Amino acid sequence: MELVKRYIAAVQRELPEPKRQEIGRELQANIMDQLDALAEQQGGELAEQQLADVLKAMGHPTQVARQFCPIEPLIPAHLMPLYKHTLFMVLGVFLVLQVVFMTKAWLMGADFGLFRFVMGLASGFIEDAVFGFTAITVGFAVAFKGKQARVCSTDKQWQPQDLPPVAAGWQHISLSDIFTDLASYVFLLLVIWFPLWQQHFAEASADSSVFSSHSLQLLMWFSPVIVLGVLSSLWQLQRRIWNRQLLTLNVLVNLAFTLMFITLAFNEPLLQLDLDTWSRHFDPSSLQLSVKIFLLAMALIPGYEVVRDVLRLQRFRKS
Amino acid sequence: MTSAQLDKMRLELRRGVLVLAVLASLRQRHYGYSLRRQLQDTGIDIDEGTLYPLVRRLADQGLLDSEWQQGEGRERRYYKLSELGAELLAQLTGEWTTLNNALGPLLQPEQTIQTEQAEENR
Repeated sequence: MELVKRYIAAVQRELPEPKRQEIGRELQANIMDQLDALAEQQGGELAEQQLADVLKAMGHPTQVARQFCPIEPLIPAHLMPLYKHTLFMVLGVFLVLQVVFMTKAWLMGADFGLFRFVMGLASGFIEDAVFGFTAITVGFAVAFKGKQARVCSTDKQWQPQDLPPVAAGWQHISLSDIFTDLASYVFLLLVIWFPLWQQHFAEASADSSVFSSHSLQLLMWFSPVIVLGVLSSLWQLQRRIWNRQLLTLNVLVNLAFTLMFITLAFNEPLLQLDLDTWSRHFDPSSLQLSVKIFLLAMALIPGYEVVRDVLRLQRFRKS
Repeated sequence: MTSAQLDKMRLELRRGVLVLAVLASLRQRHYGYSLRRQLQDTGIDIDEGTLYPLVRRLADQGLLDSEWQQGEGRERRYYKLSELGAELLAQLTGEWTTLNNALGPLLQPEQTIQTEQAEENR
């Protein structure tokens, strides 16, 4: 019977602590019943090999333990698309932020070459990515622990008539579009508020921001619009189909962004440059001009979305 | 069809049916091994590594009542269908009967072919 004890102990080791005793006790009773029946059928005691055959037929201890207590995945399958997009969004923002901070440190006069720049970028990103990955995974695991895939209230209320016509495929909002917008908003908020947070809590110098003081002031005033953009994206995430209200809100947000980019472009200087150090790498006036052109080009993106969504709203009115 | 595909489909087909078979068998009181014997006697072969965890899961869901008792010099856990389990079994039995009646004619290829030929001749 030593083999049976070893087998049950092996199964118990794979089980969660509160269930070990109970399942082990029951498994032992079942195995002993089976062995007794076999011995009775044979008319004598079982050989060691026969005992081993019975246990082998039961299955590997790990497999038997998994049958009793199936493994629950950390992230439920129905949340995987959301989890993956959140992860990509956060890692993308971390990468861009790391590039910004490293470039700033390099231009501000830190003495390192291209190799150290790349190494610094990689190590900084890996550090942030590990933190981001852990935080998101733990966040999802804790928030959705033990919750089954349930139909949310929006899904319960849906009607087939609400689905867009086949020709109006544009009405579907893809997850990647929503998360790209969210990543952009989060990035902007971090770039605007992180230096201020550093000044307030970490007592960093007042010139730690890359923006000039009046550009920063303008961006701070613009923050509520960015927050509105975040809320709009979250609403899109919930609905996943364009309707008039969503389109109207999107037009307003994108219009505000277009105006902000244009205002910033003509509100020189945008960046706070240490002319002594920066002039070693770039001509400061050329850099400011490049930034101006970049901002005007950037204004074209939300501008295009404004025109696109206004046309879509007109199509809604006609239908 | 490969043997792996067949095994997978057979497993899927048996999964739901086994629950029904176990619930139906437990209208009478059984302990683990006696339940397995009863199922085997009726032609349903199920390995222990599947049956015992299944019985526990059903008990955890409140479909079975259980108690430990001494029997033949050994303690055993006896299971019996609970009130909730009996209700569910009645509903599942109705479902199974409907499915079985519908599937019966579909699974008789000769009869299906004859019906098609008769329709074509009309």
